[in-house]
Amino acid sequence: MDENTNNNVLVIGAGMGGIQASLLLAEAGKQVYLVEKEPLFGGNVIKYEEVFPNMECSTCMIAPKQQEVLQNPNIELMTHSIVEDVQGSVGNFSVKIKKKARYVSLVNCIGCGACYDPCPVSLDNEFEQNLSQKKAIYIPCPGALPNVPVIDPEYCTRLKGVDECSACKDSCMFEAIEYDQKDEILDVKVTAVIVATGFGLFDITAAPKYGYGKVKNVYSAFEFERLFAKNGPTEGNTVLKGGENPNSIAIIHCVGRKELGYCSGVCCMYSYKFSQYLKHSFPDAKVFQLYSDMCVPGKSYQKFYKQTMDKGVDFIYHEDVEVKGNGSKIKLNVKNGKDKDQELEVDMVILAQSLKSTESNSELAKILGIEQDDKGFFVSMTESFEPASTAKPGIYVVGCSEAPKDVPQSIAQAEAAVGKVLALT
Amino acid sequence: MSDKIGVYVCECGPNIGEAIDIDKVIEAISPIEDVAVVRRHKLLCSGDGQNFLVDEIKNEGLTHVVLGACSPKDHEITFMNVATRAGINPYLIQVVNIREQCAWIFKDKDIATKKAIKYIRAGIERIKYHKPLQKKELDANPDVLVLGGGLAGIEAALALTQTDRKVYLVEKSADLGGSVMKFEKLLSHQGFNLGLIKEKVDKINSNENIEVLTSTNVESVIGFFGNFEVTTKPAGEEAGGKSFIVGAVVVASGYNWFDLESTPRYGYKKIEDVFTINDFGRMIEESEKLKLSTGKEPKSIALVHCGGRKELGYCSRVCCMQMMNIGNYIKDKYPGIEVHELHSDLCVSSKNDQKYYEKSKEKGINFIRMKGVEVGGKAGAISIEYTTLAGDKGKLAVDMAVVAPGMIPEAGTPQVADMLNVPLHPTGFFKEGHEKLNPVGTTMDGIYVVGCAQGPKSFMETLIQAQAATGKIFSHLIPGKKIEPEVKVSEIIEAFCTGCQTCLDVCFYGAITYDEDKGVSVVNEAICRGCGNCAGSCPSDAIRPKHFTTTQLYQEVVEALRE
Amino acid sequence: MSNDFKPNIVGFLCNWCTYAAADLAGQSKFDIKPSINVIRVMCSSRIDPNLVLGAFLWGADGVLVAGCHPGDCHYEKGNFYTRRRFTQMKKVLETLNLDPDRLQLAWVSASEGQRYRDVINAFTDKIKEMGPNPLKPNPAV
Ligand SMILES: Cc1cc2nc3c(=O)[nH]c(=O)nc-3n(C[C@H](O)[C@H](O)[C@H](O)COP(=O)(O)OP(=O)(O)OC[C@H]3O[C@@H](n4cnc5c(N)ncnc54)[C@H](O)[C@@H]3O)c2cc1C
Ligand SMILES: Cc1cc2nc3c(=O)[nH]c(=O)nc-3n(C[C@H](O)[C@H](O)[C@H](O)COP(=O)(O)OP(=O)(O)OC[C@H]3O[C@@H](n4cnc5c(N)ncnc54)[C@H](O)[C@@H]3O)c2cc1C
Ligand code: SF4
Ligand code: SF4
Ligand code: SF4
Ligand code: SF4
Ligand code: SF4
Ligand code: FES
Repeated sequence: MDENTNNNVLVIGAGMGGIQASLLLAEAGKQVYLVEKEPLFGGNVIKYEEVFPNMECSTCMIAPKQQEVLQNPNIELMTHSIVEDVQGSVGNFSVKIKKKARYVSLVNCIGCGACYDPCPVSLDNEFEQNLSQKKAIYIPCPGALPNVPVIDPEYCTRLKGVDECSACKDSCMFEAIEYDQKDEILDVKVTAVIVATGFGLFDITAAPKYGYGKVKNVYSAFEFERLFAKNGPTEGNTVLKGGENPNSIAIIHCVGRKELGYCSGVCCMYSYKFSQYLKHSFPDAKVFQLYSDMCVPGKSYQKFYKQTMDKGVDFIYHEDVEVKGNGSKIKLNVKNGKDKDQELEVDMVILAQSLKSTESNSELAKILGIEQDDKGFFVSMTESFEPASTAKPGIYVVGCSEAPKDVPQSIAQAEAAVGKVLALT
Repeated sequence: MSDKIGVYVCECGPNIGEAIDIDKVIEAISPIEDVAVVRRHKLLCSGDGQNFLVDEIKNEGLTHVVLGACSPKDHEITFMNVATRAGINPYLIQVVNIREQCAWIFKDKDIATKKAIKYIRAGIERIKYHKPLQKKELDANPDVLVLGGGLAGIEAALALTQTDRKVYLVEKSADLGGSVMKFEKLLSHQGFNLGLIKEKVDKINSNENIEVLTSTNVESVIGFFGNFEVTTKPAGEEAGGKSFIVGAVVVASGYNWFDLESTPRYGYKKIEDVFTINDFGRMIEESEKLKLSTGKEPKSIALVHCGGRKELGYCSRVCCMQMMNIGNYIKDKYPGIEVHELHSDLCVSSKNDQKYYEKSKEKGINFIRMKGVEVGGKAGAISIEYTTLAGDKGKLAVDMAVVAPGMIPEAGTPQVADMLNVPLHPTGFFKEGHEKLNPVGTTMDGIYVVGCAQGPKSFMETLIQAQAATGKIFSHLIPGKKIEPEVKVSEIIEAFCTGCQTCLDVCFYGAITYDEDKGVSVVNEAICRGCGNCAGSCPSDAIRPKHFTTTQLYQEVVEALRE
Repeated sequence: MSNDFKPNIVGFLCNWCTYAAADLAGQSKFDIKPSINVIRVMCSSRIDPNLVLGAFLWGADGVLVAGCHPGDCHYEKGNFYTRRRFTQMKKVLETLNLDPDRLQLAWVSASEGQRYRDVINAFTDKIKEMGPNPLKPNPAV
């Protein structure tokens, strides 16, 4: 092949957007490098038990797609990896990818899980929002793909040089543990780059009025997703800090909307989803939604809201709210434009946080030479009717890395980017 | 030639090796008829293991292979590739799950061993009825029909152009452009550059790979992915139709407006100076001036959101922004006019929308949150009565009102859906292939729906969808490349079929048709996905889902129950 | 009922949801009663009444048909047909003098490993109470 042409595409981020883009590119015969910074892939959706508005099981939706990625010979999935450098221009980018040492062989490991228990080191499991513990060698949750553990070198006593522990290696019958793995740098050439790095959530500790971290039983959105997930830390039994099930729950919408300056377009919907989860587990619990606008755009979302209402959920309009502890209960002062605040007492609060840009975006923006908006999202060329393209030819942005979106919108944008990439050749 | 079945039990290290007594398994399996070899291996999925299997198949001359190993979800494809490498058909491999669903869940070794024997025996009995299945390749026509020439259709047609691909763009009206073209002043005020659309239309008209058929209707579309026969007819004429073949169809037939007249509370057509967005857009298009029926300039205008939302049961997604745009237009051109926006929710879900709202407030637009509204009074003294969220009543006197009607499906939608054999959503818009995973596909392979034909969409969502359909077509339908339909499809055995046509109704993909001449039903293998629902429905047991035939499943049942 | 009665259950599991849940139950190393004999099908709607009756005539003490939750079927609407056919099958069982509860329909999604365990174990207990399939002694049909 001519030195200046190649058949490769780089996709950064393996959430719904990145996965869909990779699969379509692979089907068209492209060789895809799919780079994911986490040791597992699938993006945020794998944290959820179900997805709105059809309340389909999230694993059932995404696992077959993940399997397709793992089995597709045209896709090289690199988990636990980051893009360090990109040079060149459309048709001929040179990319430097750092594959971080996993210390477990992706080839030899069969995912039996025999190595976790013997490991003497326990630490908080970030994937589970620190609601449970993991070992220094771990997979983030049951069902995580690829089903191969990773050793955290900051905690593993052997890799830290504290001792000569080899408990995991001793328990592995497959010679899969490789303490001497090193970070690897891979140089590849690609014609185009699709960025699908997704989103983060508004930092709720920055808004003390919600009581997060101070008032007991105030939960973040992801904490609640994991507390309801069947493969989560409580096997789907939503329990409060004291071990009891909640009887009254307030879900606060638009957490961070004012601070960030935009509506994320999906938090209303995921809040209704939360209500449906709760009503499913605890039909008699009181559930309050403190909303500001019902953001239910399009043909099927309002129906979802109606369904939620029909399950006996109370909707309370609010302009502002303050969350305080009150013995074992939580007290909410709700401002809704009337002279007097409304008061509410509940035993669980869930904060429906706004979606914000991923932190690593600023570094990637530099590496790729693409623009971010004032909120940190990547800028696409909407004004010239190219909503998946950046100003730099050959680089495309999709999914929540470009702006907050739901799953179908993320997928559509990924497909649009694929259309652009395939039109290049 | 008689069958020579090889059975291989994977130890999977201690996972199976320690939980199951493999020697006992081998002992029990070896005497079974047609079983030529039974062996164990440390790790079949490893490189070594795969090479071992290839050698075994070749050296022993095996015709079928049964593997007692992990879940087929893990390595069925790995082992199918092994079969191909060894020169046997990949469907003559059966992976029996004795790890996840046996070794790992039955803690008593004796029980697990007995169960493994049962499962492997079932695999052996089943595989005796396996047929080699071949991948089919079908010629595919790469051309595309785009139905509708609005924003979505224009974008799709242009994006789809490639050297070896022809695009037919069929528009029923006389001009390309769709709904936006009538609102140049209004939309350009919002920074939406209609000039770009015009440029695209010019490019389409001068592109020799695009055939534009305006004032034309599509009469019929028959066939399947890669091979649809299309016939068209000029609007209002009997002759002059065309017919051609395409491989894919992009539906971009757009939307209509909710009829406000049908809902008396908006006073539309009963009270003068009550307008829709359409009327307002036309008014400013005709002359810059804002005029009341009296010829005077209005002093106060009410912009009423959510027209028909209650009746329709959904939010139309773009009217909030449209209304704010009208508000801004008025405030910018006629700062003296009072503007009130009566909204229920504010749908400002794109990342820059909220900023626009905040700017609108700064310009002095008065936003009123309401949950019910009624437009009454008479020309010159229009009275807007509304209910706040708290239930209080409010009243406004204005001399002009503009109501935002919701989006509804384009009138011809049901006919188009029927013609293409794709389902509609309960709201009457087209239904996407999968609400999450397949936002621009439909249940029919090769038929895509984009833009507002699929439901209320913003400009950008419309463009993204048009480009997304392009991405899918570029990926699935490549000029010069054949397409490979699903292998494990269903077939109908003519001799058993009584022609009752039960199966036609249950197939969600429309893969089955009735052959009038023969009096039997036939599965189109290019469409079938292999779910087996038709087989579940057939009263005559005439349908065979390949690889899941009744005989094959029955063998498994019998072995499961053998004591 | 005697304690040494070991029920034999035939479980038809759809590939996309319940079969995946069964795998997840395995990965989670749950204890599951060995009464279950799994047969994989692509969709629960594949199961025609003949297969179910066949299983009973061959002596199954219970038959489980399990698939995706309603609305989640990989083939859009397959499991709605399953549900409809299931009601009819129950009627047929009555005419055969078989307790219709020997046939169970369950919706178990791919993430519900523990629900899979619970469904199998509870169904086993129920069948244990009912005793062996009365048709079992004459499988010569
Ligand atoms: C609580 C909550 C519930 C939700 N529920 C629903 C729902 O029910 N239905 C629905 O439609 N939508 C829902 N959403 C929205 C949905 O999560 C998003 O639409 C979807 O995840 C977007 O996919 P994505 O691929 O753009 O991003 P993500 O899912 O965020 O994936 C991005 C991936 O990129 C990786 N990555 C990030 N930076 C880098 C880097 N520098 N290098 C390499 N990899 C990187 C990340 O690790 C991640 O794997 C919900 C959102 C929230 C917050
Ligand atoms: C006044 C106005 C203001 C708007 N404001 C905003 C806004 O502020 N923000 C925003 O994001 N969006 C806005 N929109 C929405 C935007 O217009 C839509 O997203 C977009 O126009 C949809 O384009 P479309 O191609 O899907 O549909 P359309 O524009 O309706 O085009 C459909 C085309 O298909 C043709 N057609 C229909 N049926 C057939 C058939 N059977 N055979 C052949 N041809 C057929 C029609 O004649 C038409 O030309 C606004 C729209 C209007 C009109
Ligand atoms: S070597 Fe490290 S990871 Fe392995 S068991 Fe010891 S501490 Fe844990
Ligand atoms: S590293 Fe070894 S012990 Fe751990 S899961 Fe992989 S194969 Fe099993
Ligand atoms: S977009 Fe705004 S005006 Fe239109 S229906 Fe939705 S909330 Fe009402
Ligand atoms: S249901 Fe069976 S008998 Fe009836 S038409 Fe279909 S294949 Fe023929
Ligand atoms: S197997 Fe499914 S898709 Fe194929 S013809 Fe039968 S019902 Fe239709
Ligand atoms: S695919 Fe699971 S029930 Fe249809």
